[in-house]
Formats: sequence, C-alpha cells, structure tokens
Amino acid sequence: MAKEIGKDKFGSFYVAGSRVRNRREWRGVKDTLYDYSRWLVIMGTLGKFLMKPRNVKAMFRYRWMANYLAVPMMVDRHTQGLRQEYLRMCHIEQDLIIDDVAKLLGNLFRGDRRTGNDTEFSKKVVLVDENEMTAVMMGFPMLKCLSRETPSTYVSVLLNQHAAEHYIDVAQEFGLAGDVCPMPEAEAGVSIDDDAPVLGACAVQCNTTCDGSLLGNGVISRRLEKEDGIPVFQLAAPLRHREDDVQEYAAQEIRNAIAFIEQHTGAKWDWTEYFECAKRVNYATKCRQEWLDMNRTDYPQVFGSNLALYTETNYMAICGRIAAFEKADRKLTRLAEQAFKAKKRAAKEYRHRAIIWGVQSHYYMDFLVWLLNCWGIVPLTDMLSMVSTRKIAEEDTPENREQAYYDMAWLTENMIMRNRTHGGYKVLLDELWEFTEQFNADMVILWEHMSCKALDGMHGLFEDRARELGIHLVWVSHDLFDPRIISRQGVRDQINNYMRTVMREEPIDPSLEILPDEESW
Amino acid sequence: MKRNHTKKIPKGLSICLKVLGILFSLFTFTFVIYIFNLDMKLTSKIEPLLLKHYDRIERDRHL
Amino acid sequence: MKDLKHLIFFEDLLLEANNKLVQQAQSDGRKCIAYVCENTPEPLLNLEGTFSVRLRAPRTGSIDVATYYLTSFLCEFSRALLERAIEGGYNFADCVITPDGCSMMNRCVENMELLSAVSKDKKDFFYEYMEIPMKADDNGLNLYVLQCKNHILKPLAEKFGIDTSDAAIRKAVAKYNRIAELIRAIGDYRKGPNPTITGYEFAVLTLATYVAPKDLILDRLEETLEELKTREPDAKNPFRARVVVVGSEVDDTEFIKLVEESGAFVCADRYCYGSLPGRDPIVLTDDEDALTQICRTYMNRGQCPRYMNTEKMDARRTYVDSLAKEYGADGIIYEQMKFCDPWAYEKMLGSHILREEFGYPVLAVDRPYNIAGSGQMRTRVQAFVESIEIKKIQGGAQNG
Repeated sequence: MAKEIGKDKFGSFYVAGSRVRNRREWRGVKDTLYDYSRWLVIMGTLGKFLMKPRNVKAMFRYRWMANYLAVPMMVDRHTQGLRQEYLRMCHIEQDLIIDDVAKLLGNLFRGDRRTGNDTEFSKKVVLVDENEMTAVMMGFPMLKCLSRETPSTYVSVLLNQHAAEHYIDVAQEFGLAGDVCPMPEAEAGVSIDDDAPVLGACAVQCNTTCDGSLLGNGVISRRLEKEDGIPVFQLAAPLRHREDDVQEYAAQEIRNAIAFIEQHTGAKWDWTEYFECAKRVNYATKCRQEWLDMNRTDYPQVFGSNLALYTETNYMAICGRIAAFEKADRKLTRLAEQAFKAKKRAAKEYRHRAIIWGVQSHYYMDFLVWLLNCWGIVPLTDMLSMVSTRKIAEEDTPENREQAYYDMAWLTENMIMRNRTHGGYKVLLDELWEFTEQFNADMVILWEHMSCKALDGMHGLFEDRARELGIHLVWVSHDLFDPRIISRQGVRDQINNYMRTVMREEPIDPSLEILPDEESW
Repeated sequence: MKRNHTKKIPKGLSICLKVLGILFSLFTFTFVIYIFNLDMKLTSKIEPLLLKHYDRIERDRHL
Repeated sequence: MKDLKHLIFFEDLLLEANNKLVQQAQSDGRKCIAYVCENTPEPLLNLEGTFSVRLRAPRTGSIDVATYYLTSFLCEFSRALLERAIEGGYNFADCVITPDGCSMMNRCVENMELLSAVSKDKKDFFYEYMEIPMKADDNGLNLYVLQCKNHILKPLAEKFGIDTSDAAIRKAVAKYNRIAELIRAIGDYRKGPNPTITGYEFAVLTLATYVAPKDLILDRLEETLEELKTREPDAKNPFRARVVVVGSEVDDTEFIKLVEESGAFVCADRYCYGSLPGRDPIVLTDDEDALTQICRTYMNRGQCPRYMNTEKMDARRTYVDSLAKEYGADGIIYEQMKFCDPWAYEKMLGSHILREEFGYPVLAVDRPYNIAGSGQMRTRVQAFVESIEIKKIQGGAQNG
C-alpha cells in the first residue's frame, strides 16, 4: 500500500482461481480519494442504468450483459499503478466511455423489440457495425447511430476476457472454420445465437476492418434483412486507401449510404451539424498529434491504454458526433501539458521505449500497463493510434460540401487498424520503422494476432527488417478475443522470456511476472 | 437539590451532527466496499447464477 | 472409356508453371502476364503481344520458406505460390497483375515484390495492384473500369507497347470467347445420365486454358470436342452420384480425381480455376466500349465471396442451385482451401442454405493445397456418396 509510484507489489492483488482481485490500490490519500470518488460516479452510472425496468429485462435476456458486472474492475485494471495526472487522464477517458456505453445500451434496449419496444424511437435508429467509422452519421443529429456489436462483443471482451468464447463456439458449431478472426466470428455467433437486440429503421454495414468483417456481416445481414425486416446498406470502403484512383468510388459510396439512410428514416442530411462534427474531428486530431509529439520526447504523457482505448473510441465510434469528447480532449491535453512541464513520469523506471505494433489482444488491453509496471517498457504509441492526421474541411461552403464526401470517405477507409493492415505494405511495414525512428524507440512489441492474415502475411519481412535495422522486435502472439488459445500468462511469458534471455534484465516488479489470472475477468 | 448541568445542544447543530454522522457512516461503508473490492467480489458471485439462467433461455438459433 | 487423344498432352502442360507452350509464346516475343485471381479480367491480359498465365504451383513439396514469411496461418495456396516464386519458378513472367482481392493473395504478391522473387533480372518487370469492386452496382462498375485502365491497360501500353485500343480489346474477347465456347461445349458432355467425359478430364482441359497461351491449345481443344461427339461411355456408369463442386481455388486436378475415385462424378465445377462462370463467353455489343462491357460481365458474374451486397450474396446460392439443376447433380460439395477466410464464411452459409432451403445433400470440407493421398478426404466423400444413395433409395421407396 503506497503513495509513491512503483512501491506496490501488484502481483499480491491477484488471487488464484478468482474472478476478482483481493483489494483495490492505496495510492496515498489524495489519489485514493480521487479514485474512490470516480468509483462512486461509476456506481452511480450503473445504478441509474438499472433503474429502468427494460434495462433489467435486457440484463436477464442477453448473455453478454453479464459482463457488465465487471465494469469497475475494467477501470481498476487500466489504472493499476497510476497516480496524479495519469490516474486522472485514465479516469476522464474511461468514465466517459462507460457513460457513453451506458447510453448506448439504454438506447438499444429502448428500441429493442424484446425489451423496450419503443417503435417511434426505433424508427430513428440506424444500426452500424462495431468495425466501422461513423463518419456517415455526422450529418444526422436527429437520428441515433447505434452499434449492437460494440456492447455485445467489443466492450464485453474488454470487461471479461472470456466474454466471447460462447459466441465463438456457437459460430463454429454452425460450421465456421476455427482459424478465422474471432472478432467477426463472435459477432456472427451473437447473431446466430439470437442474442442481438432487434431494432432500427435500417442498418449500414461496412467491409472494414477486413475480409472477416466483410463476410461476417453477411451472416448478420441475412438475419437483419430476411427475418427482422431491417434493410441493410453495405458500405464499401476501398482497400487501397492511399491511391488516388479509388477516392471517387469511396466518396460515391458515402453519397449512396447517406441517400439510403435518408430514404429509410425520412431524415435529411444536416450540413451545419456535419461541419460542427468536422471541427471536433479536427480538434481531436490536433490533440492526438500533440500527445504524440510529447511521446516523442523523454517525457511521454498520454500513452499505453490511455492513448489506445481512448483513440479507438473517440476516432472511430464517436467521430466528432459527441461534444463531451471534445471537452475530454481539452482536459486530457491540459493534464498532459501540466505533467509534461513538470517532467513527470508514470512509473518508477522507464527502461525501454517501445512502439506497439499489430493488432492488440483485446482480452488483455491492460497488458500495456503491465509492460510499464513489470518491465519498465513504455508503450509510446500503438498501431491503432496511428490513424489519420489529415485535417478535414470544417467550414460550410459549397466547395467544402463536395469535399466533405471525400473526407468522410477518407475517414471510413482509414478506420483504426485497417488503415495499416490494408492499403499495401508501406502502411504496415515501412511506416513502422519510420515511427520507430521518430519516437526514438529501441524496441517494437509486435502483437501477432494469429488469425489476422493481413498482418501474419508480413511476418518474415518484419523479422528481416528488424534484423537489418538492429531493432529489438518482440513477437507477442494471441488470438484477439479467445484467451483459450493463448492465455494472458501466455502473452506475458512471451515478453518475460525475451526480457530475461535476450535483454538479460530482471523485472522491476517481479510479483507481476507470473499472475494467476486465468479465471479473472 | 442538585441542578441539572447538562447543556442543551442547539437543534440546528444536532441535525448537522446527525447528517455528518450519516455521511461519515456512508463514506466509511462505501469506502470499505471500495478498498476491499467487495462490490466486485459480490458481482463475481452473481455471474454464475446469471450464466445458468441464460443457458435455460429458449433461443431461435440459426444462420 | 477410350482415352482422350490429347489428355496426356494437357496433363503434361500442368506439370510445370513454365510449360512448353509458355516458352514457345515467349520465344515468339509475346509478354507473359502472370496473375493470381479470377477477378482480373482475362481478355485484357491476352491482347495482341501478350498472354496470361494464372499462377499455380504444381508438384509442390515443402513450403517452409514461404511459411517463414507468411506464417502457417495463411492459406497453403498463397504459401505455395510464394515458395515457388522464391525458388525461381516464375522467372518467366514479365509482370504480375493482382487485385487486392483477399488479404492472403495480396500479401503473397507483396512478398514476391519485396523479396524480388520474380524475374528480378528483367528490366521492364512490374507489379500492379488493383482495387476491385465489392458490390455489383454502377459505382463498382466505374471503379472496375478505371482500375483496369490504370493498372492493366496503361502499364501494358507504356511498358510493353501493347495496343490497348477498343478494337484490340474486342479482338482479345473474340479469342477468349472461342476458348470459352469450346470449354462450354466440352463441358456439356458432363450432362446426361452416362457422361462421355469425366470431371477429372474436364478439369485438366479447363485448367490448361488458364495456364497456357489459349491460341496454342485451340486446335487440340477443337479436336477433343470432335472426339467427344463419338466417344462411347463405359458400359456401366462407374459413378454412384453426381455432384457440383463449389468453392475456393482448385488448381489441383488430383482433388477432382479423388472425388471421382470415391464414387462421385463431378458434373459441374463452380470453383476458382473452374469453368463456371470462368469460361462463360463474354457477349459484346457495339453501343458501348468493350472495356466497360467486360468489366460489367466480370462484376455481374463474379462468384467470389468478397462481393458483399445482399443481391450478390443470394445470387451465389441460387447460382449453385441452377447449376445443380442444369447438370443433374444429386449433391453439392462445398470445399475451401484451409485457412481461406472468404470461403470459410461462404462455405458455412452456402452449405447451410443449399441444404436447408434448397434441399440438397451437401458435404462441406476444407482441404490442403495438395490433396493427392488424402485418406481422410476419400473417406468423407465416400460417406457422402453413400448418404446420397441412401437418400435416393428412401426417396424412391416413398414415391413407390
């Protein structure tokens, strides 16, 4: 129990065979009271959510809702070891995300035919994929843009590492091969298992992230269209997104998607709202660039899952549509600048500067915190945070209204992760080494999501280049949503082995090397 | 005859003290839950019951 | 049945990627365009002065080096191609044109490029990567046309001086159609209760049209068609069931042979490197440029699972049903290359729909790149054939 950073032995918090930890951290009076106050707010959010009978009904109807019992623990996992500004940054992000997801769930269950069945509300709902930029909704403030996959699989696995296993198994029972990416596999499994809310005037699916998403959508849309009577538009985002000769195609897809939404909802596209959202997108980009600029120095401030999780949410799911995220960007930047000026560090020791590349193991997002606390490896940035840096048109003019389609298309093509796994080898392979140099990194932690063929297909070339450049390349294999293939300890062991045998180092916190968290949320 | 020397606490102060007492008790109660992770320990016991319940639900399972 | 006169000739062609007809065409000064995906419109690769070769890796042994580069999670087809490229097996190619169709093939070709595995000594050698539509609609067509212009016609014209005019394209389509009509006509002999060509023989002929210059096998195909007009079937039909094979790439004729040796006659070949729809003729009219019409044909007839709009998804399954009816199939074999993502999903959905909604017996399998001695596959197909026979008997008993 310690106020100072790095004094705690965090391994002592874990209990073998248990879902949960034995206690929370003591971080000194001020930080502990702060964390406690945020815990109260989270409990308040959850309590408010459960006040509505339809939400309780949903809790008893949808298997994936059980994972939301673990919400406070998700925050605990990501705040492990954090103090002062870093703790506050994490809470600003996580608490906002929790609030946003609670609203998303509330809206889903309001319109869901099985729970709230608010048909008038449902007519204003447009369903979107989880793996889809919501740029196409920026000009529809009167509509609700809701994703069923986000709470049922994506967030669920963040909360509970075992959340997707049931759905993966269901998909495989119905004949899907086990080597496909478990994310679309689990999403398809939710649909097959009749465990998705049913609502909406229409749906917009997108081929992003990858082949798996494109194909998994086919399973989902079959049920949506043929059984639930919800028309679906498939939005095609070109793969070769860096090429000029695909941009017109992409822009036309956006025009077609907007026309589809207007047709099925009766809503009209609002340019004023669109450009307001565009301004927020640009502001978020500016903030993210500033954080990354700080991370290039000796005093990185917004990094690890503070950067990764927040970027995924803000850039993709929110896409400028919610003002609260702009406020959060402002607060985060202020805190980061404050800590940067004071030359603060988030952990006792910074031994290595690492670029985290590849697709993260979703069941172990707090691995980034573990890297820092156990081995002093600072995760300066990750592949999913290296997204578009382009400023989009934000002033309402006739020329900009035309440009807006290209901007929305660009954002859609440059969805997180996908902007690197697709689009040619330059964006995946070559740019990694450019970032390594820019960030003065001595190490690359390469998440090898074994079912991601786009990433696996560059394995040998990553190795060859790392060898040529003399960069420590540490492979960390995993299967994204399925910890049965490689457990969290399996993930840690890949780092432990490398650090001990190649780097010949001892851990900063040895109690974190081996953790009994197989059963843990 | 002995006089009663007990001082009377003003009513407003008494209410304040009671409220503070309640708040402090609430704080202590919730803080104990927080620091010993009792909330998560409780919900982790609820999870298996919920999972059994989900297994019993009839579903329209198909492609 | 009496052996087809030219079967051995065609089988020999399939033994090497750089077969003797490829060598002959190159020695005549023609440029060899290597490609890997059915979504690359073939007539555009067969203009005057060029010929196309769809890459395969016959007699593949170890793929260890490619596995290092691509890992064991990518399909064996992509790894076999990369292995062959690294071994120098494709150094005859003058360029490689590929769409960004599936991630695995894309990475395969990118690895070839980055490792300089193909024709590194050829001065004008180039790689081109195309975007191709994911939906069959007007927007998709516009994209397709632009991509073909930018990534096929333009580089061929600039690098090799090839005539890519509308007239030249129409000429190429006419040559392509001649082959397609021949293959279609030969394929029709699979119809009927006692066919005079086996699925294996047909697969050999069809595959040869993908991997050799088409004009150099034209005469032999014509002779084969003539031969079939008078070929006598076996007195007793050796097959116990008729199946349509549907799925991902099959460039290994041993797979078709295995299926047929297990008792199932492959009456229709709806797979990549097959004839349906890969050898459907392209009908051109005079009121629109040839390129647009070719692209529209490829887009509309494409059976690749990457086409994701609902109409295309539904059409893939009704197409299989129509083939089964046209060719009198008793059952359907859905096959996928192991680790193929697109066909993993399509196989799951397709086999379910064809079974539950269309009422066909369906066998769903995944397979390695080279299948030849697979006892497991043989057993599965044999069991499937028996189940079809039982169903026929039970159906007959019900009707009788």
